[in-house]
Amino acid sequence: MKIHSKVAGSLMLMSLALVGQACAPSATSKPTSSLPPPPAADSSRSAGGGEGQRGLSKESTTGKSSLDDLKSGKAPVTPASSPLKDIFFDFDRYDLSADARALLRANADWLKTNSAVRVEIEGHCDERGTSEYNLALGAKRAQAAREYLATLGVASERLSTTSFGEEIPLCKEANESCWKQNRRARFVITPSRPAS
Amino acid sequence: MMRKLIFLLVFGVSVLHAHFAYAAVTGEIVGQGGQKFPIAVSPLKILSAVSSDVARLSTGIADAMVHDLELSGWFKVLDRSAYIEDAQKTGITLGAFDFKDWSTIGAEGLVKGGFSVQGEDITVELRLFDVYQNKERIGKRYTGRVRDFRRIAHKFVDEIINQFTGIPGVFNTRIAYVSNSGGRFKEIHVSHLDGSEKFQVTDNHTINLSPTWSPDGRSILYSSFKERGQTLYLFELFSGKEIKFTPRGAAKYLSGKLSPDGQTVVATLETAGNSNLYLLDRSGNVIRRLTEDTGIEVSPSWSPDGKQIVFVSDRSGSPQLYILDLSGGKTRRLSYSGNYNTSPEWSPKGDRIVYTGRVGSRFAIFSISVEGGEPRKLTTESADSEDPTWSPDGRFIAFSSNRAGKYHLYVMQASGENQRRLTGSGGDDTKPSWSPRLD
Repeated sequence: MKIHSKVAGSLMLMSLALVGQACAPSATSKPTSSLPPPPAADSSRSAGGGEGQRGLSKESTTGKSSLDDLKSGKAPVTPASSPLKDIFFDFDRYDLSADARALLRANADWLKTNSAVRVEIEGHCDERGTSEYNLALGAKRAQAAREYLATLGVASERLSTTSFGEEIPLCKEANESCWKQNRRARFVITPSRPAS
Repeated sequence: MMRKLIFLLVFGVSVLHAHFAYAAVTGEIVGQGGQKFPIAVSPLKILSAVSSDVARLSTGIADAMVHDLELSGWFKVLDRSAYIEDAQKTGITLGAFDFKDWSTIGAEGLVKGGFSVQGEDITVELRLFDVYQNKERIGKRYTGRVRDFRRIAHKFVDEIINQFTGIPGVFNTRIAYVSNSGGRFKEIHVSHLDGSEKFQVTDNHTINLSPTWSPDGRSILYSSFKERGQTLYLFELFSGKEIKFTPRGAAKYLSGKLSPDGQTVVATLETAGNSNLYLLDRSGNVIRRLTEDTGIEVSPSWSPDGKQIVFVSDRSGSPQLYILDLSGGKTRRLSYSGNYNTSPEWSPKGDRIVYTGRVGSRFAIFSISVEGGEPRKLTTESADSEDPTWSPDGRFIAFSSNRAGKYHLYVMQASGENQRRLTGSGGDDTKPSWSPRLD
């Protein structure tokens, strides 16, 4: 910046044409790693599933939404005993991995057995990127899970979706092992209503 | 208890002297590593006061001006400890002080002033002198409430910027933002650009997001999870009144922005996983749907003439910026560099769009011409910088960055120079939105 005050001998000076450096972002590529979903992939059917087979007890299986957990100061963790398992996604993706499909098949089996249960599917994202885009991305993730469950024979009227974007993370550290736990869809059993 | 912002008022401004020499523009370019204009800001002279707190005001008004001048990036404010003259023992008008006391320490510009306090009211006289030519350039008298003394300082700095550049400064403005205040909830806050006059818009202990200003600066539109299902709320700052945008069917209302004429809202509505742009009225009723896509369509921002909208779509397979022409209905892709470009905001000047782009594993602020072409990277990727917002004159950009650990708000020139931190609360401050000029 050069100012002409001395040259012009005056305070009246200074044009403020602003020059920024032109610089393209270096080309980036989408992460291609297909991350295995974190723990407890398969053990569900006997533990949680068995519990829910007959006479679903509202008290024990009606879940708290992630927003309820946030309000009460609890971590939005899906309990190991839950019959419906979380599924996980790659960064900026909402397509279902083979692992996610396997988990959804197990979830669908349980839902078909427990036909009175209604579920809200929550879509979540990791903290990276901007919040509005992540809200839309989370909605896509929840919807992808809903559509796959529907193709497996779960009536879609029993399934609602919501997105919390990056706003209610399960894990709060800034590293990939944490982020991959946050890129998920959660299945929260909602209080059952009179059968339609 | 209704939350509302107390309407602050500077009662009057009078011009003390009318010799406004026109600010001649020299055609020199402001570039990196160059020289800033050296200016001194004297503590104010106490002209008459019965209050005990006058020493605080003497330096407080000067400090507020120093903050603004430094934030602009165009001035080097000389350190007060170097000042020779005693502000309380010299006059504040031409001839009543010695310019040599200021030229000796390297000042080329000088701000002097005085004030008197009567009860709750304050009268402040401020003058800008040209030390080189021994002339007065601006003289103004302001009257207002003592508690609003910072606003008087901001108004005078806006005058100084006008004298230098031909366009008034933007220091009498506010920033709306999201903060978790170190806790687990996200609430909407508003504060003055210098961090004073803090006001918490929401206090519902849930998640509140995406605040944007009405063009008259009197209302904040934001999205919230405070009731079942995410939707938008239009909060009137000075009355505390709020309008809820009642969702249509199962739609979620993710974010919105009032049009430049204040009559309509462009909003993102999500149904069955698909987010699309809609035009709404001020009560949230749908006027018409603007995009028909099965992907993600979010973060709309108006062109200043209200004829076009820039937004984010993943229709190409990655989030990119697009511009929708409202009259013709045609859409064109704007960004081609990188594979993650989000949160665009259209410059009030109309010529550029600022946005967040991903570089490697980090996020940085970019700006791009509305005609497209090569983007300019404005922040480095040693940390993440996100959610840029323009000042109402288009010469500055505020954004959120985690370069100091937590997310804080920063301001820089539109070129990316002079990046300075605005907030330092105990929590994460994100998603800033810069107000229009305020009275």
